[in-house]
Amino acid sequence: MSIAWTRRPERGSAALVALMAWLTLRLGEGLGRALLVPITLYFLATGGPARAASRAYLARVLGREARLADLFRHVHAFAAVQFDRLLFATGRAGHFRLDCEGVEHLQRLVDEGRGALLLGAHLGSFEALRLLATRACPVPVKALMHRPPPGPLTAWLARRDPAFAAAVIEIGRPGSMLAVAETIAAGGFVGVLADRAPRPERMVRVTFLGAPAAFPAGPMALAAALAAPVLLCRAVRLGRGHYALRFEPFADPLVLPRAERDAALAGAVARYAAWLEAACRAHPFSWFNFFDVWDNDAATAPPAAPDPHPYEPRLGADPARDPRRAGLDA
Amino acid sequence: MGAEATETRRGTAAHDAAALARLLVETLHLEIAPEEIDPDAPLFGGELGLDSIDALELALAISRAYGLELRADDERNGEIFASLSALSAYIAEQLASSS
Repeated sequence: MSIAWTRRPERGSAALVALMAWLTLRLGEGLGRALLVPITLYFLATGGPARAASRAYLARVLGREARLADLFRHVHAFAAVQFDRLLFATGRAGHFRLDCEGVEHLQRLVDEGRGALLLGAHLGSFEALRLLATRACPVPVKALMHRPPPGPLTAWLARRDPAFAAAVIEIGRPGSMLAVAETIAAGGFVGVLADRAPRPERMVRVTFLGAPAAFPAGPMALAAALAAPVLLCRAVRLGRGHYALRFEPFADPLVLPRAERDAALAGAVARYAAWLEAACRAHPFSWFNFFDVWDNDAATAPPAAPDPHPYEPRLGADPARDPRRAGLDA
Repeated sequence: MGAEATETRRGTAAHDAAALARLLVETLHLEIAPEEIDPDAPLFGGELGLDSIDALELALAISRAYGLELRADDERNGEIFASLSALSAYIAEQLASSS
């Protein structure tokens, strides 16, 4: 998903985004779309760490060394999803085709008046999910995510599309998780991306595409605390104006028994990673993580102190409570 | 923070603070004795190292124990969750106003 759940600032100058948005709105989608190629080349040429992470990921998912054409395809797919955000935000996605699978799981919950936590990944587009919600879903759908510092595109979208801002529950406020609980208690759905830690926090290492990779523990701890139904969801871009949405049950509810909490939590993360792996194999160029999750050094570096975000999920803060503690370095 | 409320409702707050410390330790399974928690130390990001998910669990436990809803949109949340004594004072205040 393409929202600003990231420690690396969203890239692209404000001027570039404004130019692209202006050109798209004034001169049409065709020109905006044509600009995606030079933009992709620009990011390929300048985005060192992201390019290295893309290369590491593609090598694993493709089972061979990634070629320049693969890197281009990966970044271009990301740029295309970003471009679609402009269309979503400006109401130009009305004609988009959304293939939906597993909506009956959502429908059943809606019928029963129960809310749920939706576990997603940086896989495809969160906006496509919102589009489905505005078309077909009678209950509120929100995203739990980091707001500051928004990249130029997110800032532009927030100005353009106030509903986007209203659909965000910001992480890092004292009431963030209470807001999640309230939304779900009222029968709404809250999405959270569980494939990357936005801040140094407790990580769990599980096998992902053949090697141990670090995933945040926070989303599973949140799911357990909420004791609400948990669904897996993804919205992958298949082509121009075409997304495939899929919902699968994950747990109802997720229970982490106190006596075996660590093992149960690791088991839940492993199930999530298996789901993500299957999705990545089906859509290898649609996972837009761009961080090396297999990087041991990055995954074991101690969190920086003092903590400027005391309300972040930081489950590893007390080693006595959390022997698996490992922070993800920024 | 919460000092004024603690002053004016010292009896209730003192009683609540001890009970609340026990609730905190039990709910979050902290490996610390309730009486060892410094009532004025920050709950989050300090020695206790609680995080926002702990805050959620604590709020749910408080709602079960005292029948009080802590609201996400309460602008005072930063103050309310600042320390054990602040939280305790807030609970005392809410219980007093609802009874």
